[in-house]
Amino acid sequence: MTTPWRLALFVLALIVLVPAVWHVALALPAFGAPTEQYGAAVNALLTATRHVTNMVAAVNFDVRGFDTLGEESMLVCAVTGAVVLLRGTRGESMTDRAGKIPGRAVAPRTDATVLVCRIAATLTLLFGVYMALHGTVTPGGGFQGGAIAGSSLMLLYLGEGYESWRRMVRSPALDVLEGGGAFVFVGAAAVPLMLGYALLQNVLPFGTPKDLYSGGLMVVANFAVGVSVAGSFGLLLLEFMEETRSPDSESMPDEED
Amino acid sequence: MSWLIGGAMVLAAIAGLAVVLSRDPSRQIYALAANGIVLTLLFFVLQAPDVALSELAVNTVITPLLFLVTLAAARINKARQ
Repeated sequence: MTTPWRLALFVLALIVLVPAVWHVALALPAFGAPTEQYGAAVNALLTATRHVTNMVAAVNFDVRGFDTLGEESMLVCAVTGAVVLLRGTRGESMTDRAGKIPGRAVAPRTDATVLVCRIAATLTLLFGVYMALHGTVTPGGGFQGGAIAGSSLMLLYLGEGYESWRRMVRSPALDVLEGGGAFVFVGAAAVPLMLGYALLQNVLPFGTPKDLYSGGLMVVANFAVGVSVAGSFGLLLLEFMEETRSPDSESMPDEED
Repeated sequence: MSWLIGGAMVLAAIAGLAVVLSRDPSRQIYALAANGIVLTLLFFVLQAPDVALSELAVNTVITPLLFLVTLAAARINKARQ
């Protein structure tokens, strides 16, 4: 497409879209306007009825928990698909060994880097677990906590180097975390169903507000999502990293098959 | 408070522009990470800490890292051929 054509298309799009966007923008509530009715209702009701102080978690894991179940399954499916694609091209037999490109220099790390990374990775992992467990009390929750725990694995890689990292972080363990977390979440949704209640209905005692255990089933669902997300991100990282290391197929010993 | 929101929005516009205008993929990845930090600040100023946390973890750590690794893998495979 030549430049004049692009310009003409741009002007045409502008003529069509600007009035529409303007119309919609004027119909929006003003910036910083008082909260929507739904938000006000959530704020007013959920502390009393669900004993939680983080309303986002209450909406995500209880009021519209079914949506979150769908989102979680979507994430698991996407990560599984990526892992199948990447592992499929390398072969399943290679999953538990660190790939290595012959003749490639390994950058040495100073002791200070290793030490700082070990401390920071531990603290980050701890913070991720804390956040996943306290999802019903303070901002954050399963997804955020899981993502933070997953990024602690990256710090570990930064300090230890690829091979020792692969010896510490086993891909079967990450598989179990990912699938197990999702399984527990589905179980938390299905058990009330089997007991004759609605899907994800909060059948556990609600606990005390602002306590670690508050919100009943939400704590279980939050932690399950956290575990699953941490496993997913770890697995993604591992499979992508392996992609930069895998030796080309010609130099691989093929005698076994 | 309002100048904080305004400042964060201006920063977000600049950071977004930097992502679009940088042509070198590896620089663009760092611009994307910086944009993630700025958006985290914006969400934080707008009192949405939950969204800010997801933004921080996903858009400044995990997405740039996956992009960087992909870029490295592409370069290694190109050098090998």
